[in-house]
Amino acid sequence: MTKRKELYAADSIKEIRQKMEKWGKEVYNTEKERQEPFRTFSGLPIKSLYTPEDISGIDYLQDMGFPGEEPFVRGIHPTMYRERGWTLRQLAGFGPPEETNRRYRLLLKEGATGINGVFDYPTLRGYDSTDPIARADAGRGGVAIDTLEDMRILFDGIPIEKISSSLVTCQPICNITVQSMYFANAQDRGVQLNRLTGTSQNDFLMETAITVAPEVLPPRFSFKLSCDAIEYCTQHVPYWNPVSFSGYNYRESGCTAIQEIAFVIANAIACSEELIRRGSHVDSFAPRLSFFLSAHNDFFEEIAKYRAARRIWCRIMKDRFGAKNPRSLAFRFHVQTAGVALTAQQPLNNIARSAYHGLSAVLGGAQSVHIDGYDEALCTPTELSALTALRINQILQLETGVTNTVDPLGGSYFIESLTGQLEEMIVTLLEKIDQMGGIVKAVETGWIHREISDSAYNYQQAIESGKMPVVGVNCYREEDEKLPMDLFQVPETLRIQEERIKKIKKERDPFRAQHALDEISRCCDENGNLMEVIVESVKAYVTEGEISRTIKGCYGTWNMPLF
Amino acid sequence: MKKDIRVVIARLGMDAHWRGSIVVARALRDAGMEVIYVGNQMPENIAETAVQEYADVVGLSTLSGNHMILAPEVVRHLRERGMEQTIVVLGGTIPPDDVPKLKEAGIAEIFGPGTPLKKIISFLSGLR
Repeated sequence: MTKRKELYAADSIKEIRQKMEKWGKEVYNTEKERQEPFRTFSGLPIKSLYTPEDISGIDYLQDMGFPGEEPFVRGIHPTMYRERGWTLRQLAGFGPPEETNRRYRLLLKEGATGINGVFDYPTLRGYDSTDPIARADAGRGGVAIDTLEDMRILFDGIPIEKISSSLVTCQPICNITVQSMYFANAQDRGVQLNRLTGTSQNDFLMETAITVAPEVLPPRFSFKLSCDAIEYCTQHVPYWNPVSFSGYNYRESGCTAIQEIAFVIANAIACSEELIRRGSHVDSFAPRLSFFLSAHNDFFEEIAKYRAARRIWCRIMKDRFGAKNPRSLAFRFHVQTAGVALTAQQPLNNIARSAYHGLSAVLGGAQSVHIDGYDEALCTPTELSALTALRINQILQLETGVTNTVDPLGGSYFIESLTGQLEEMIVTLLEKIDQMGGIVKAVETGWIHREISDSAYNYQQAIESGKMPVVGVNCYREEDEKLPMDLFQVPETLRIQEERIKKIKKERDPFRAQHALDEISRCCDENGNLMEVIVESVKAYVTEGEISRTIKGCYGTWNMPLF
Repeated sequence: MKKDIRVVIARLGMDAHWRGSIVVARALRDAGMEVIYVGNQMPENIAETAVQEYADVVGLSTLSGNHMILAPEVVRHLRERGMEQTIVVLGGTIPPDDVPKLKEAGIAEIFGPGTPLKKIISFLSGLR
């Protein structure tokens, strides 16, 4: 163990402490504080003032270092936003693919620098639009994708060889097919897989704990599909991030900042262990593991959270997995501003909320940012709301000057203390999950569901009691409020998808389609990598529903523990 | 002694968001009601459960936008089973313009985003 070199000399700290005690007694205590517990959202106590003493235990070179170097607290790139701004990646998706294609084109024309595509409820859960239990949800919450033909329409005219696409394929059961359709479509367009850039979410916790469905795969099989996709991409699609551990959604379900980071990292640990068990070297896949986080209301805690996550990840990858490649040690993340913090009441106030959220994300060193639309609590964003959100992102990047130096809050007594405190809490929670046997076990036993629902309940109680003020909801509420804007109407989807599926089933080669599904069954039985098979299967125009029914037929389904 | 109010809580169709329904379920339980949480279901199954559980209330939750299609179907299936006395309430992101149409279709009350739990509890307690 190398000797630690503390940040400040012991005698200066001693003098600062003495002076502060005196100041506390003679000055501060003569004033009157508000009577409330000063705590972060996660419950960490906050002092009235932070001084060099609070960070004197830091060894600068070991604990902070320089951007682009271990332990990456100050950022994962040496130059950060001085070289290139964060990617403006605004989420979009609704209705049939032709409608979402139009929204993609609009956002790119207006300055978005990446695609961020969300899929509708049935697609995310592996159902065709025409499935009896899916029909009422076709085209809602995202775009409907049933076959390779839909994927072709969705990305028609979008330069996928040049810009990166993030596919919000959060459930592995969806990802394994929809990502395969994206790859197959790229091949059809003559773009080689080894040139494609983008990300898929592919997070088994999403399938089994966060956004659940009527029937889901048992956790260990959902986890297997997720690892299949990572393994496949490592070998064939080297610039693709095959997973984006979706702490954002954990947070939206109720998690605290501490749980958000602990659960994404526990998930990434499990995937790493599985990939290593399958024979991959950590440095072959770890550089492409990516994360997706929330930016919620507690401004400083959020900033500290991103910084703590980077330090924890670096140390785990190095000490636990022996990673050598610096890219394996760098915690890369996309941020979406917290939808759950937005209100249906006085919705224009959400513009201010999301702007603050976005500011915390970039002060925390995010690689790409989505700003929510002000109508998030009411509907899918209208064109006006989506464009306003993009403009907020652009104002942040171009007008505020926050891009001019790297990690501008690094060294703040408060931020560094909070970063250290959060790190400690997160590491403790990670140890607890380890003792349980890892994240897959924690899902199977329902522990994770209970943790999240407890946090969600506490959050709501804090709003109920007024302890957590929400402007327009539990204070400054307006009675008989009139909505100041139009709401989005989801365009007709089911009829279009129904006709398209019918046409495809009539025109496709039935023997080839059946063969494709048989191959998937065989691969499940042989415990092979399903991605390899499904990238080919989708070219036979089998539907997403047919593929996931085949997989569920082999692996069975699971009911998540009810609360 | 009055008997406890029995509430079946379900999420409609494919909707993914469980947070609201779970928080409401816990609050109702804490307020002394008997809560049966059934997760994602289609209207017919929800009505079946309500019959089997002698439900006084069916609480539906959805944020996906499927409410105009599925919520009235729950009411219809309940009435077909003779459950005239069981009331149906709905929570989630429901655009204001849809509220009168849903009430006309037999939904007793709609609780949009930001509704205090107290309001839901007192509405259901008033049913006794």
